[in-house]
Amino acid sequence: MKTGLASIAAAVMMLMASTAVAQTKDTLTIDLPNDAATLDPHLQWNTDSYTVYRNIFDNLLTRDTSGKIVPQIATAWTYDNDTTLTFKIRDDVTFQDGSKLTADDVVFSINRIINPALKSPQLSQFDQIKTAQAVDATTVKVTTKSAYPALLAQLVKLSIVPKAYVEKVGDQEFNLKPLGSGPYKLVEWQKGIATNLEAYGNYWRGQPPFQKVVFRAVPDVSTRIADLKTGKADLIRDVPPDQASSLENDSGTKLLSGETERVGYLYINAEAGPTKDLRVRQAIAYAIDKQGLVDALLEGYGKAVDIVGAEPIFGYTADVKGYPYDPAKAAQLVKEAGAEGATVEFLTSPSYPRALVEAIQQMVNEAGLNVTISSSDQATFLKRRQGGADNAGGMAFGAWSCACQDADGIIFPLFRSGSIWAKYKNEKYDALVDEARTILDEQKRKALYAQAYEILREDVPGLGLYQVYALYGAAKNLQWTPTANEALFVMDMSWQQ
Amino acid sequence: MLNYAVQRLIQAIVAIFGVLTIVFVVMHLSGDPTLLLVPQDASAEMIAQLRHQLGFDRPIHIQYLDYLYGLTRLDFGISVVQRVPALDIVASRLPYTIQLAAGALLVAIGIGIPAGIIMATLRDTAIARILAAIVVTGQSVPTFLSAILLIFIFGVTLRWLPTSGAGELSAMIMPSIALGALSMSTFARMTRIAIIDELGKDYVRAGRARGLSLREIVFRHVLRNASIPVITIAALEIGNLLAGAVIIETVFAWPGIGQLAIQSIQSRDFLVVQVIVLLISFVYVLTSVAADLVYVVVDPRIRLVR
Repeated sequence: MKTGLASIAAAVMMLMASTAVAQTKDTLTIDLPNDAATLDPHLQWNTDSYTVYRNIFDNLLTRDTSGKIVPQIATAWTYDNDTTLTFKIRDDVTFQDGSKLTADDVVFSINRIINPALKSPQLSQFDQIKTAQAVDATTVKVTTKSAYPALLAQLVKLSIVPKAYVEKVGDQEFNLKPLGSGPYKLVEWQKGIATNLEAYGNYWRGQPPFQKVVFRAVPDVSTRIADLKTGKADLIRDVPPDQASSLENDSGTKLLSGETERVGYLYINAEAGPTKDLRVRQAIAYAIDKQGLVDALLEGYGKAVDIVGAEPIFGYTADVKGYPYDPAKAAQLVKEAGAEGATVEFLTSPSYPRALVEAIQQMVNEAGLNVTISSSDQATFLKRRQGGADNAGGMAFGAWSCACQDADGIIFPLFRSGSIWAKYKNEKYDALVDEARTILDEQKRKALYAQAYEILREDVPGLGLYQVYALYGAAKNLQWTPTANEALFVMDMSWQQ
Repeated sequence: MLNYAVQRLIQAIVAIFGVLTIVFVVMHLSGDPTLLLVPQDASAEMIAQLRHQLGFDRPIHIQYLDYLYGLTRLDFGISVVQRVPALDIVASRLPYTIQLAAGALLVAIGIGIPAGIIMATLRDTAIARILAAIVVTGQSVPTFLSAILLIFIFGVTLRWLPTSGAGELSAMIMPSIALGALSMSTFARMTRIAIIDELGKDYVRAGRARGLSLREIVFRHVLRNASIPVITIAALEIGNLLAGAVIIETVFAWPGIGQLAIQSIQSRDFLVVQVIVLLISFVYVLTSVAADLVYVVVDPRIRLVR
């Protein structure tokens, strides 16, 4: 009888234990707008792809929540000289097939992505690297073509792939069945539908927070929100500001917003059309009520900026003041330039918020210009925007992030003459940003960028509008702090009952 | 009959070839995927280099001939965006669209034809009026709206059905209804008109005079005769369903070729778009040929004129 009672008690306790286990979250489901295009981390660099594959792979370096570059696979690094950097590599990391990660894998990863034969779209992020060599099993030497201060920021984006496995299965198979050293391994990739990941038990940073992670492709934002509200998804990306309150008011969901390094900006053509006249460009700057845009269209999820850059970037300066909202001054400048009624073409595509584009159109029209919106698909838009100045329209809205948190990744490609985006030439400006990308002294670089931003302020080849906040919808119990570089690492999340 | 089939087949091949060429030219003239592939800070040289490696810097006629040469060997190429054979990508998504189209067709025919029969034979009754209201609604509410409404009512509020995705059978219900609604209305209207048209003919009056009930006449004679226009509609509707699938699949995150088509066009993934275009034009042509042949079976009075 006693044993009978004991066994019943044991059974009851086991039952309780098993329900307790069932209560912890086993599978985390994340809705993304699209499926990953490739899972080979050295191929596609778009948000949906790297959101998935960076949970499968580790990077050489990473950023902490404050945005500082910190060790991941590399433990320490020292500059031997301006063009040579030596990394120490962890020796306790294994790939998901159990094999050890060594300096050879790091060298292979760097040399693979800079090899033109891979046809990697990411090549431009790493093309300043001349070569990588293994000194011993835990030491790697990276040589750049010239002194290159953004190298560490770029290496934050480099995933480490297993040399032996990639060489064995080949590039095509590796893309379909990727294998990394990250917290999650691939179980099944249902292309276009979902990517199923499973925790890697021997992960060097400890047990991942969820046993399984599913990334689903859900293109329509209303559907993503419906998924979240019904519990079909636990985390969704790209919530438009006007839907934010509906997630905050729902008992089972919440809104997560993160200030990012992304900056919403207006490009203004300084080389062709009515905007070639400096007064017209300045008039546009005076005509736009940035705070009004943030309040009315972003529902406050954004912060007006004075420069083409947001606070989390290196080179950000608060000393350069923007143009105040002054419609009278704007109208006066347009009049002085004799540009009243002049037609300014505003290029855009469905990738950019139409309401914002129309609000800017309205504001600039009130200054006396005649803004016409030309909307085309993204490929056509880019072709014109990046093509010759004469056909590149007068203005365009953009939201820029280099995911490198450095002014070099923003104002160099946007405004350095000769860059595909620049419709502007100022030799003094070119000299400043050229120098800033080839020296390593941080204080000097900051001073150079402050001067460069001052020139941009005067010449207005573009206008910083606001710092973008990334908006995510999440289940109430999900604990996670979004980061400035819009990375989505499941390892940083947790579930609280 | 055989001659006719061969003739139609040749026409079909010419039509498909024409569509393929037009799409190839239009897609290539409006830019290539290189700009969408590179990170935004890429330099002009980097872009030029990648474009060269991907072969998009060659003259368009060379790219076209190269593509046709591939086709003759049944080589549809490798997607530059996904780095997987284009045919594999489309093939993996096709079953979902077939499944969805079948569900929608079931909704359209299963509800539309009986509704049409009732509306024609029970004219001026309450039930016919209610059905007419449903048919008009199905026809006039845009699919993207009805899809969102369905999700809101049955997914979010009542929680009866999953809000998105494929997998369980229950996930098929809402997309099938949303996609089939328009076709359902078309079937109902066409069936109603065809039957009313037949009901006014002499043989119906003669049958009534001989004491046959309306029910007997309708099911024995009228339906068969009224089916010709309905079959024509059915063939056209399959094409319309494929077009409608583009919207429905996007809203419901249904992983079929409609959603794939949108994404591939946006990312300028030419080779995938071409396979989809080939497939859809093939289906269009095939269904219209099939409809022609079915006429002959249904109505022996139709003779093929050469």
